[in-house]
Amino acid sequence: MEQPQASLKSRVHTVTAKPSVKKKNQLGYGIALLAAIILFGVFLSNIKAPLAIRWMLGIALGFVLQRSRFCFTAATRDPFLTGSTSLLRAVLIAIMIATVGFAAIQYNAFSAGKPVPGNISPVGIHTIIGGIIFGIGAVIAGGCASGTLMRVGEAYIMNMIALVFFIAGSALGAYHFGWWKANVIKNAPSIFLPNVLGWPLAFFGQLVLLFALYWLALWWDYRKAE
Amino acid sequence: MAEVHLDCLGEACPVPLIKTQNKLNQLNVGDILIVEIDHSCAMKNVPEWARKEGYSVEIEEIEEGHWYIYIEKNK
Repeated sequence: MEQPQASLKSRVHTVTAKPSVKKKNQLGYGIALLAAIILFGVFLSNIKAPLAIRWMLGIALGFVLQRSRFCFTAATRDPFLTGSTSLLRAVLIAIMIATVGFAAIQYNAFSAGKPVPGNISPVGIHTIIGGIIFGIGAVIAGGCASGTLMRVGEAYIMNMIALVFFIAGSALGAYHFGWWKANVIKNAPSIFLPNVLGWPLAFFGQLVLLFALYWLALWWDYRKAE
Repeated sequence: MAEVHLDCLGEACPVPLIKTQNKLNQLNVGDILIVEIDHSCAMKNVPEWARKEGYSVEIEEIEEGHWYIYIEKNK
């Protein structure tokens, strides 16, 4: 590595808009917010313990989303737009971890003879159409579901508007979902892979497929560098 | 050794990156591009892309939620 010369910005002469106001110290707000979060958690745990757990998990998830810029939209878009697959690989790792965890929970229920938990929904052409509509909406709104929620917390006004219509659209969808279910989706099969392939093949097959995708993503990322 | 300012204030997620890519294509080697952003996602994907291309990159937060990204077209 060569020694870097004078820093880039010190060599720039046209930047005159230097900050006139000193940046505010936000430590006080942070401590107050942390105290409020803990107090509300204690309040929730007095009503019902699982509520406090959900509250803390929600806060933690939001924090991780914000700090890591974990973005499902970018994960599927960046490989084509910039050739970067770092987010796509993060999503693949997340799905691998979820696969192991969900398989454990579901297999546990299956062995005990209970109904298998999880959102096992009918799959068909409507899934693809819905995905395309969702994608168009995410581009216009400037974020998918998690991204919109995270940016509302960052105080982006555009995403606050998006959140209002996100809630309105979800409520409308839930309201007339019965009609779609009775008329459009009724013939679509609900495929639960362990029922089709058996548990070992479904579980290990899914993991192998995800590892293959990870390897492919890595290759796609470094193919230019080589 | 021109210094070019690119205004991306108010642009949603992938737009600052695409504008930066297009602008850098028009510049000559040695020029410095200053991208002005107020979207926190551009804070990640613009420098990541530019560093991967091999350019020198620096970021400066000039006030809360308002950044300059300096990119030198050094090749």
